Amino acid sequence: MKKFQPTCQLLLVTVFALLVSACSSKPELGDDAIPPTVALPKDTNEENLNNDILDPFEGFNRRMYYFNAKADEHVILPVVKGYQAVTPDFVEKGVSNFFNNLGEVPTFINSVLQLKIGIAAETFGRFAVNTTIGLAGLFDVATPIGLEEQQEDFGQTLGYWGVSSGPYLVLPLMGPSSLRDAVGASIDMVAFSAAVDELGMKSEEEAFLSLLRGIDTRASIPFRYYASGSAFEYEKLRLLYLKYRELQVAR
Amino acid sequence: MRNCIILIAILLQACSATEQEIQTVKSPTCDLTYTRYQATVTGLCQEPKAELLANVPIEERKIEIRPIEEIPEIFWYSQKMSYTLVKQQGEAPLAFVIAGTGAAHNSAKNIILQKTLFAQGYHVIGLSSPTFANYIINSNNDQMIGDLTKDAVSLYKTMQIILKDVQKNEDIKASSFVLTGYSLGGAHAAFVAKLDESEQQFNFEKVLMINPPVSLLNSVRILDSYIDIKNNRPAISAMFDRIFERFADVYADQESSKFTEESIYELFEGADMGDEELKLLIGSSFRLSSSDMLYAIDSIYNVGAIKYKNHQVSKFESLTDSMHRANTLTFENYFDKGMLPWTQNIEPGVNRDELIARLSLRSIEEYLVNAKKISVVHNADDIILADGEIEYLQQVFGERAKVFERGGHMGNIDRVDFINYISGQFAGAAL
Repeated sequence: MKKFQPTCQLLLVTVFALLVSACSSKPELGDDAIPPTVALPKDTNEENLNNDILDPFEGFNRRMYYFNAKADEHVILPVVKGYQAVTPDFVEKGVSNFFNNLGEVPTFINSVLQLKIGIAAETFGRFAVNTTIGLAGLFDVATPIGLEEQQEDFGQTLGYWGVSSGPYLVLPLMGPSSLRDAVGASIDMVAFSAAVDELGMKSEEEAFLSLLRGIDTRASIPFRYYASGSAFEYEKLRLLYLKYRELQVAR
Repeated sequence: MRNCIILIAILLQACSATEQEIQTVKSPTCDLTYTRYQATVTGLCQEPKAELLANVPIEERKIEIRPIEEIPEIFWYSQKMSYTLVKQQGEAPLAFVIAGTGAAHNSAKNIILQKTLFAQGYHVIGLSSPTFANYIINSNNDQMIGDLTKDAVSLYKTMQIILKDVQKNEDIKASSFVLTGYSLGGAHAAFVAKLDESEQQFNFEKVLMINPPVSLLNSVRILDSYIDIKNNRPAISAMFDRIFERFADVYADQESSKFTEESIYELFEGADMGDEELKLLIGSSFRLSSSDMLYAIDSIYNVGAIKYKNHQVSKFESLTDSMHRANTLTFENYFDKGMLPWTQNIEPGVNRDELIARLSLRSIEEYLVNAKKISVVHNADDIILADGEIEYLQQVFGERAKVFERGGHMGNIDRVDFINYISGQFAGAAL
């Protein structure tokens, strides 16, 4: 199971890459369609305005975006809502803390890989304190004593060493990503699984843990598809995601 | 680059979104150097924030107004008009709150107003601006958006439909009605109040205009001038790049990798932005709203300006080109290429200056002078007012005009003094 997941993700990414060219986002125009009267600004493709947004898989991405929005509405959010309804707040917080604590493992590895010794030390400190005094990570006692939460993943590590984000990619259920970050996420999964391994659980317990982690992750993200009401939400989110990753990589 | 327009706009929205969630925590103030532009962008963070009610039963509701089969496929997620209801137990006066340019019924600012009115004992109905895509797509309006008199007719119909809905399905009992709105919604409130004098469906007891424009054309010319994409694209791109780089630098130096309200103030402090840069952010934020508005208008009226005419856009189609087209258009372009010909088509004699005059509070000045129920609150340094307009409001409204010294455009809406003033305005009517 543990070993299967990252391989599976890599495989999926490859399959997408092959599939994507089949989907188009170009309009199918009827005979009476008249081109827009406002000219398309010429320089969007010159200069640096938008040609740094590489989205050759747009046709696929938009379909996946739509799929994700539907899955979110009909499956994921109802499950998250149910989870929040039956779970006392302090338990939810504990669950969140627990997964965040396991998440320190990839952050630690990736800060080492980026030679960020300060962040690595801080993250190690957090992990040590929260795992022991914080009862296996159920309580975050590190933040109040000044050990701040950091976030480093393998996508950032690749970025740090000069790998550009590559084409924008909308992943099933997980949402906005890029080719680089999708590869990075599957590598991080190995580190995370290794951390889970240490807990010595049965495979169905681990499956339950994965599910719980998914629910916890979704619960912590306030984003709702199409809540902006903007027809250009796909474009805006694409830009926001890529810029946000630039900020993280530059950190 | 335009990329950053969106990023920063969303960052800003994220900033105001956190504002409404953190109420019980003592909110931080900032050390930013005050300017009207800074206050407009980050809020008047130098002054303490009002503590709003934490547990307000805000409910988002939807109602079918335009038949669903007429909604363009690309707006599949926007079938039915959305609004917010905040409900009191039992009978109570009811307040309508109209959002500003391009903003939704549940925008951060509208929610602040809804909470404030709820605290004063009102049922509250939050309405999107007639310039918000969901409203444009779903309203029964068949007029060009932005003509205040015609927007008011549409709003008035919508308010009656929604009231019926909540009376029937939520058992709302309204003892009386009040009305408010911010920014463009403030101007809408005045025109709706005037319409109500003859229609008498609500007989509003109290109407408060919050930071309204006086002349729409004056205000949009100011905002258009902040971002001249059409003629100045390379310079704007470069300015966005510089802003982004500084944000990245400050973010790299901050202790935690998390974004909090405090860290966003620090980002702005560290980025040390000049007036021109802040103006660019303000201009871009409005431009994003207008692009959304234009796309919705083009979709529902089949205009063919930024999308293909006579073409039903599929839900998987790329809209990126349409967005680029829309982003080059100013509000004034929309006035000249959209509103003016549309109006002249219906009323052949109308010229440009006459239409400009209609889109102004001055066109209903006589009513405003005499309508004692209407008051206005504004900031002396609000960016959307042209020279002399604040004095004009003081002259028209006399004692019914309250002017705060500073706050820019809506920068103080969640600050203690401002919320106290609004609460005071509506305290009497609730009793």
